[in-house]
Amino acid sequence: MNEIINDKAQLALFLKELIIRTLRLEEIAPQDIDDSAPLFKEGLGLDSLDALELVVALEKNFKIIIPDEHVGREAFASVNALVDYVQRESATKVSG
Amino acid sequence: MKYDETEIVVRFQEVDEWGIAWHGHYVGWFEVGRMELLRKFDLLPRQFTEMGYIAPVVNLKCDFKEPARSGDHIVIRVTVLKPEKAALTFCFEIYRKEDQNLLAKGETTQVLMTTDGKLLYFLPDEIKNKIDSMIQYLNEP
Repeated sequence: MNEIINDKAQLALFLKELIIRTLRLEEIAPQDIDDSAPLFKEGLGLDSLDALELVVALEKNFKIIIPDEHVGREAFASVNALVDYVQRESATKVSG
Repeated sequence: MKYDETEIVVRFQEVDEWGIAWHGHYVGWFEVGRMELLRKFDLLPRQFTEMGYIAPVVNLKCDFKEPARSGDHIVIRVTVLKPEKAALTFCFEIYRKEDQNLLAKGETTQVLMTTDGKLLYFLPDEIKNKIDSMIQYLNEP
């Protein structure tokens, strides 16, 4: 997993696949998701229940916690933002 | 899992001009059952608010199996699913008491928000403990 976390492109692909699997977005392929597009509302169109499912999936897969909506807004802004959040939180966990 | 049960009688003003209960009333009946269950665990809407939260419904499903009619005694059965995320899902069944026929079954999901509108990503302990007690109650033989 560390190899994936350290490689932005690999991590972005992993996260897209995780989003698709977790939210059962069967008609969407990873390449359909724009790395810089918003995940909620006008982008992928995710909603509050989707956010809660992603919080659980990220905790299970990376042991990282998105504590509240304030942090969630930043982390779920886009795939790129989520990549940055996972990398930053994973580094904090290792060093902390 | 066991269901908590509440009985009501379908009122005259709840049926439409075809003589059957208007579909929207089933949602209200789900609410009657859910309130009676929540009341047992001090989780009524007012009590949520006193703790600083609200719990809006974000998803609702209902399958209609048979029509209820004015004067029918109906039994609203409700149970809660063990939360796997910060949301509460209640499952419902409505039966006619006389013949035990299933009239409708459905589900509602509520998220939790602070009273100033922020979505909670984790269930607060004070609510999680009450839901755990509810699940324990519903699992009792």
